[in-house]
Order: sequence, then structure tokens, then C-alpha cells
Amino acid sequence: MREAFSNALVRLALADPKVLLLTGDHGYALFDEFRKRCPSQYINAGIAEQNMVGMAAGLARVGFRPFVYGLAAFVPIRTLEQIKLDIAHDHLPVVLLGDGAGFVYSHLGTSHQSTEDIACTRAIPGLEVLSPADRFEMTACMDYAYAANGSVYLRMGKSDRGDVHTSPIDALQPGSLLKVRDGRADRPGLIATGSMVRTAVDIAQEQNLTVWSAPTIKPLLIDDVCAAARASTGLVTLEEHSLLGGLGAAITEITSEHLPTRVLRIGVPDQFSKHCGTYDYLLNEHRLDSTTVARRIYEFVA
Amino acid sequence: MTALAPLRTETDQRFAPARMRRTVLEMAYAGSTVHIGCAFSIIELLTVLYRNYLRYPENNPLAEGRDYLVLSKGHGVMAQYACMRELGWLNDSHIQNYFKDGSELKGLSDSRVAGLEVTSGSLGHGFSVGVGIAMGLQRKGTDQKVYAIVGDGELNEGPIWEGALVAAHHRMDNLMLIVDKNGFQAMGSTDDVLALGDLSAKFASFGFETLEVDGHDEAAIEAAIHQLWANGLGKPKALIARTVKGKGVPFMESDNRWHYTRLNAQTFAKAINALGLTGATK
Repeated sequence: MREAFSNALVRLALADPKVLLLTGDHGYALFDEFRKRCPSQYINAGIAEQNMVGMAAGLARVGFRPFVYGLAAFVPIRTLEQIKLDIAHDHLPVVLLGDGAGFVYSHLGTSHQSTEDIACTRAIPGLEVLSPADRFEMTACMDYAYAANGSVYLRMGKSDRGDVHTSPIDALQPGSLLKVRDGRADRPGLIATGSMVRTAVDIAQEQNLTVWSAPTIKPLLIDDVCAAARASTGLVTLEEHSLLGGLGAAITEITSEHLPTRVLRIGVPDQFSKHCGTYDYLLNEHRLDSTTVARRIYEFVA
Repeated sequence: MTALAPLRTETDQRFAPARMRRTVLEMAYAGSTVHIGCAFSIIELLTVLYRNYLRYPENNPLAEGRDYLVLSKGHGVMAQYACMRELGWLNDSHIQNYFKDGSELKGLSDSRVAGLEVTSGSLGHGFSVGVGIAMGLQRKGTDQKVYAIVGDGELNEGPIWEGALVAAHHRMDNLMLIVDKNGFQAMGSTDDVLALGDLSAKFASFGFETLEVDGHDEAAIEAAIHQLWANGLGKPKALIARTVKGKGVPFMESDNRWHYTRLNAQTFAKAINALGLTGATK
């Protein structure tokens, strides 16, 4: 998935010299290929994220196409006001790349974890929010983010969970749910995003459930969500993000208004991580491990 | 790099400070708004910038080859509106309908108004955007210039100093930071709230070509800007302008209440009278 990200970035930058990569002194190894092949388009803005995001707005104002990279804890969270005021307010063509979202930096504690980024960015007018699940979605999201020519936040979470799709996605339709597998219509359907699509697929195989992936969280097509609700008996949403304001919230906002549906939201409870440990350990702490999630879905089915 | 040649012609009567202050007073009275003092301290700076330096091809505020004036201290926006009126970009109706329901001009800088480059008022934003514009122009290899006006109170904000590091590191000699050093911020004097120390020394140590000037002396401002562009190859510029908050109306000068006080019929008339408008400036 990270290779797909790097490949897409290099490809876009080679095709368009106006593409610039700005990083707040992060991305060790990730940008080796970019720095080798597009050295003049690489800008290390220093450990100064607020200025970096403002600067990206300035670059976009004079015709450049900045991609701004940081850990999700910093881009978008630390720099949320710059994103709102300097970028989204004028719908400037800037792609914000938030890496390590969720509990990727499980050993580093709260400063490097981010489970509020979707909620915060969703509420900024006009800002689109993408959350790819595997390398195919990543490629499609990067291509879409460039082609959209507007303000986009692309969330990069746990990246080594394997493919959920079997082939490349032709062109990402913003707001569409992508069906990953078919299951029984007399059971709930799962709608997941990012790292949790893999979890959803694993559980769905055991319980024979339909799974949709949501690579775009904003926009989200009302028709697609309602179609998913009609195709199953209730919905389960899964995300490595707070229960407040994320995918589950976005789905229930639509169903409650357009097609009242019973929805089980699975995500991070209203709490910070308490302990240090592996990624799996932290998923467990937040009740997002496969065993707990499978049991909750099973109980919801029953 | 060659010094930027001033644009002024001897017959250019636009941007007369007293008339621009009158526009500010008219707007503030029409809209019952605040921030008069914040606008008055940058009038002469804007007079010189608009009259002598800023290039707008075909008088178009959105012209691709323009110079950029970034008003990072958005609280001074009425002074910029006054310049835009002088340029014919705003008309009397804009002035009279200031703050009326549905009107376009806000109480702080909004980049969706042609002629204003950034959305500011939340402080410490505009300068970073200006640094990005300067970096973009530098990459394009144009001779366009970026002027960013920040308040001395605004220098409390961290991103200003982040941007200063970046501007010097990338040798942005197309960027001029202008500090409106009026000595006040919202709640008191800068010395009392958060002392700034020696600003010239600070910016010089960051790698800026730096000058101090009387921010109400047009000739001195014009000469200082000329000198900054002429000197310090590869260095961003910092002009520390000593100004007076509320300048031009004696009862407002250095009285910080005029950060927040609104005009009534009496104070409006008294202020207009104090401007002493005569002849060509009227």
C-alpha cells in the first residue's frame, strides 16, 4: 500500500511539474524514490507543520499542486485551522496526506495516534475525505485526489493488512461504496473503511456477510448507502476511528434521514489509549480486535 | 537582483492618506464597526505600497503577473478597502453599505474579495501563505514581489517564526515582511502583554535584510523599501515600521480603546474634522 502511494506520487509528479511534495520532516524511506526521481519537487518544510500548510496554500494560489504529508496527528489535526482557513475556504487544490492514522504508532502513545481526524475534516466545508483500504484503493484515491483539483484529505492508516480487492479500480467514483464480497441478504451488511475493511472481510467470510468498502467518507452517496441498507437486514460500520463523527456517524446520518435502519457502529470508544503495546494489543484495548468485533457482529445478527 | 523602480508619477494624486482615513471613518461609521486604530496605523505604508510599488497589470486585482500584498493582520482591512476605493475596485455603495446584511466586505480580510489575497484575522496565517506565494513565484522565476504586513501583536503567533525560518532558508529575496509596530495589541501594549524585544535584531538574526522606518513618513518608507530590494541578495526583507495606532485623528492616537470603540455622530464628525481635508486630498 505504501509502495502504491509512492508510485502514484512519483507518477503524478513526473507527469505534472506543478506537483510538489511538502513534508514536515517526516517520511523517512517512504520518499526515497520521489527524492531520486523528482528532487526539485521535494520540499522538506522542517518541523513546522502550521507554516507548511499555510505555505501550501500560497503555492496553490500561484498555480502549484501541493501534496502535503504529515502524520495524521499533525496533518490534519495540529494544522486544522490552516486547512480550514488557508486551503478549504478557497477550495484550493491541495492534497493533505495524513499518515499513521489510528493506532499505527501504537508504542508512541497519544501524541502520534489519531482517531479524530475524520470527524474534524468532515466538518470543514468543501473538504473531501478519502480513506483507502488497500493498494488498489490507494492508487485510485491518489489519482482521484489529483484529478479532483480541490481540497482533499487522504487518510493513511495501517498499511500492511493485505489486499481486499483482487484487481485495480478503474476510476474512483467519489462517494461510492465498493462491494468487496457478497453475503447472505438475510443478514446485516458490513460497511468498513481503511484498515478495518480487512477485518470486515475476514469476519464476513466466517459469517457469510456482504462487505462494502468506503474509500471516500466525504462525499458519501445517499443512494449507495440506502442500497446497502436495502440489500441486508441492518448495517454494521467498522473504522479505526472514533465512534463520534467518523464513518459510522456519516452512515447513520444518511440512514436516519432517508431509510431508518438498525446500525451497529464499531469504532474507537470515547477514550485515549491507556497502555503501550503492539498494534494488535491496542486494537484489543479499544475492542477492535477481530475476536471482539466478530462476537459483537454475531450478537447483532442474533 | 535590481532594485524595484518606484512607479509613481508626479501627477498621481491617488492614495492620499487623509482621504483614505476618511474612507475608513465612513466605513466604520456606516457599519458601526471596530478596528479603526488598527487600520489607521498602516495607512501611509499602504499609500506607498499601492502608489509606488505594487504592480497590477491593467489595473486588474487578479492579474497573473501582479505583486502580492498579503494583509496578515486582517484587522487593518478597512485601510486596504480604502486603497481599493482609490483604485476603483470598490465604489461608494461598498462604503455606504459596509456591514449591511448580504454585503460582500467583511470586518476582516477575506480572500474571496478580489484585491484581498488572504483570509486573515485569525493571526499568524497570512504570512505563511505569503511565504508559499513567494516560494511559488521564486520557482517560476518571475520578478513578482510579495509584501506581507503583520501586526506587532501578531508576532506572538508561532507560525510567523516558522515562516521566517523557511523564508531565510530558501533565500526568498522576493518577500518583504512589514511589521506594523504600533505598540499595541487588543488588550494592552505589546510591552505589557508579551514583550517583543529588539525586532530588528531578531529578524536580522533570522537572516533577513532589515530596516526600521517611521511608518508614517511616506518618503522614508519609499526609500526604505527601495533600499531593502536593492540590498541583501538572497535574503528576505523585513521592514520594521514604527507606527501610531489610531494615527491621523489626535483623540484616537495611541488610545487603545479605538481597537474596539465604535463611532457615534459626534465622534465621527470630530474625527473627520481632525483629518483637515483640503484641496486635492478631499
